[in-house]
Amino acid sequence: MPQTLRVIYSAFRMAMLHWIADPQWVIPNVIAPFVFTFVALTLFKEASGPFGLYAVLGGGMMGMWGNTLYSSGFAIEFEKWQGTLEEVVATPSNLLHVIAGRSVSNALFGLTNMVAILLIASLVFKVPLGVANPILFALSIVLTLLSVSALGLIFASAFVLSRYAQVFTNGLEFPIYVISGSMFPIALLPFWIHPASYLLGPTWGIEAIRIAAAQESVSVTFCLNVGVMLLITLAYVIIAAFLFKKVETKSRRDGTLVQA
Amino acid sequence: MSLLRIFFSSAVFSFKAQFSWLYPPMWLAMKLVMSLSQMSFFVFVGQFLITTGSADTNLIAYIAIGNAVQTLAWNTVFSVINITSHDKWDGTLPLVLATPAHRLPLFIGRAMLHVLDGMMSVAISFVYAIFLFGVNFGNTDALALIVTVFLTAFTMAGFGLLIGGFSFYFRNPLVFANIFTFILLIFCGVNFPVQQLPQPLQVVSYIFPLTYGVDAARRAIEGATLTDIAPLLGQMLIVGFIAIILGYILFRSFENMTRKTGQLEAV
Repeated sequence: MPQTLRVIYSAFRMAMLHWIADPQWVIPNVIAPFVFTFVALTLFKEASGPFGLYAVLGGGMMGMWGNTLYSSGFAIEFEKWQGTLEEVVATPSNLLHVIAGRSVSNALFGLTNMVAILLIASLVFKVPLGVANPILFALSIVLTLLSVSALGLIFASAFVLSRYAQVFTNGLEFPIYVISGSMFPIALLPFWIHPASYLLGPTWGIEAIRIAAAQESVSVTFCLNVGVMLLITLAYVIIAAFLFKKVETKSRRDGTLVQA
Repeated sequence: MSLLRIFFSSAVFSFKAQFSWLYPPMWLAMKLVMSLSQMSFFVFVGQFLITTGSADTNLIAYIAIGNAVQTLAWNTVFSVINITSHDKWDGTLPLVLATPAHRLPLFIGRAMLHVLDGMMSVAISFVYAIFLFGVNFGNTDALALIVTVFLTAFTMAGFGLLIGGFSFYFRNPLVFANIFTFILLIFCGVNFPVQQLPQPLQVVSYIFPLTYGVDAARRAIEGATLTDIAPLLGQMLIVGFIAIILGYILFRSFENMTRKTGQLEAV
């Protein structure tokens, strides 16, 4: 296995083991998406239209984002408290790859939220949950998961140097739910927010997921959404790689990692 | 006099302690961002329903006011429960329990500045509701609204103390802080009337002081006077005081248990 993949896999496995050892930590990361989705489903209960689909799929995306933020924010803060961040940075492995493994792992945990929401939506709210094209649906979920993880990497680079990663983690969770239009069309947002929405991979990802759930055939709109999301994800990775290099050099040179 | 001094010291130190991890400008930024983004999220969900003709336009005001009042839970529930978390993580719990100070003012005092902080959060959120989402406050009975917000913050701080007292027995109170801050959005009539919940869950709604507070705030904004909403506020106070008493009993029993077993840090 190439070294990069080995590091990513090891970080992924480590995050999984942490979760298994102390599963209560998943609660703070999925409780907000779960409750938001429950509220949306209750609001949508009497309405006819695609509301159930918006609520359930949006809830899944929100769960991915909540967990990704955790891995890139609170997890770094936690390592600082426990004094293990220095060891992680000091290893010859690239810090970006370590955080990438964790991000993917935590985004995957976020999908547990989607499973819980699916169960409640179908059993309690009787939302019809047929997926028109399961293959494209699964593909778009995986790509969105990667895009969300890549976005988390950009924030993680800043969090390594900041004393306030935990605070940023809390503060960044809800705005992304709003700006990405996770549970409503972004057309409802004020026009000056639209550029920010279009710069977010999850905005395109959630749209692709909705299309795959509703349409059997591969449409141009689906391809456009997936294509733009992939480009944005690539840009996130390039920016994150650049930022991590800068942050790592600065922290090694100034010795500010612990005081940060 | 000594009891008052303990009460105020406890209030000031507990509030100041949060700035060991929360830089003041960041505290203000959080206050401005979180309340706005939570309110916006639900308002846009409501807007989605309205644009498709599935809901009345009054839903926007309903959601905006509900979320504005609920923001005080971040201070009075999340932050108050987190006092327990930080007492455990920062190693200050043994020091608190070693003092000869009377426990009641010490216990209640720790939540009190969060009450004022919570009121400030609600005021900021009301500004958002008026200027960003066009909620009409023209008929508001200001006195009734201020009293409602104060009593809601006070009784919710009591609820925070109850869960904080309960959390002493667990290794990670932060989990409870998250759960009990968010489930209020489901149970307390913040975004939809309590009557829309399944019947068994409606009973649960009335153990949270916020349910009465949100209802009273909506009525005060529609023009109801203090006398009109007095029964609601009375019920809320009863629930709040019961929460404080239960929280205090839990706190004292935890203290007694740890003195007997020496498991203060192990719990």
